[in-house]
Amino acid sequence: MAGDVHFYLRNPSLVTRYIWNLQLKHVCRHHIFCQRRMAATLGHAQGTDSDPDRVVEDEPRGTDGDEENSQQTGATAPQSRLAKLPLARIKALMKADPDVTLASQESVFIIAKATELFVEMIAKDALVYAQQGKRKTLQRKDLDNAIEAIDEFAFLEGTLD
Amino acid sequence: MAERPEDLNLPNAVITRIIKEALPDGVNVSKEARRAISQAASVFVLYATSCANNFAMKAKRKTLNAGDVMSAMEEMEFERFMQPLRESLEAFKKGQKGKKEASEQKKKDKEKKSDVEESDKKDEDEEEEEHMDEEPEAENEAEEDEVEN
Repeated sequence: MAGDVHFYLRNPSLVTRYIWNLQLKHVCRHHIFCQRRMAATLGHAQGTDSDPDRVVEDEPRGTDGDEENSQQTGATAPQSRLAKLPLARIKALMKADPDVTLASQESVFIIAKATELFVEMIAKDALVYAQQGKRKTLQRKDLDNAIEAIDEFAFLEGTLD
Repeated sequence: MAERPEDLNLPNAVITRIIKEALPDGVNVSKEARRAISQAASVFVLYATSCANNFAMKAKRKTLNAGDVMSAMEEMEFERFMQPLRESLEAFKKGQKGKKEASEQKKKDKEKKSDVEESDKKDEDEEEEEHMDEEPEAENEAEEDEVEN
């Protein structure tokens, strides 16, 4: 795969398929171990948990109930307030790629932040289609329409269930 | 699609929060749509990582750095992300710096304490060394005497 970069860039869905198919078994076994290790190194520093169920409980303690604080007080607030997504989980996902050996903490953070922006973007774009259908509830088909229509989302084609 | 363990998805609560903040009030999101967005986000991470890794490999580096990710954003046609990401990165770096200084300060305080303890020990060591220096000299004198004889 490493040598055939351009093929995979043209067929991004194959990248994900390749990764999912080959690596997930390995990752499943390894994931719990890595998750705990990452949580120990990153989680302590951030004050966030790798355990999904406990993320909700963490919020009142950390954000003081006001989510805007994370943007306004970015300079003084602890690192955990800057990225909403858990860096440990992002790093685990990144390690699913067999070609990735090491990732700097900055790169993990930027990808987490970019994913946040991506989620916002796709939600807003899908909303357009819901509104066209005179609906106030975003549905799966709105998402499919957005993916089909918008060039930037081309890499998602064929990757969702 | 191949099996996809739930563990590798990002936490639903956080995804829901991001979506709700992005959309105006009164808009709801179906469970299916939320799940799809969560999956799309995971795919996004994988794709971005793969692209960034290509840039790192081109530069013959084994560690992904922030620059690689920024180049990947451009490659993926998400240039609109680049400016906000740069700003977030600056804030993150400051936070990192603050933390590093805090932990270094802690280290210094610890070293100060152990220095005080060490200096007490050193005085005892010096006394022992003085005694040891005298002994070899005594032996040398003894040998010289024997040679002469």
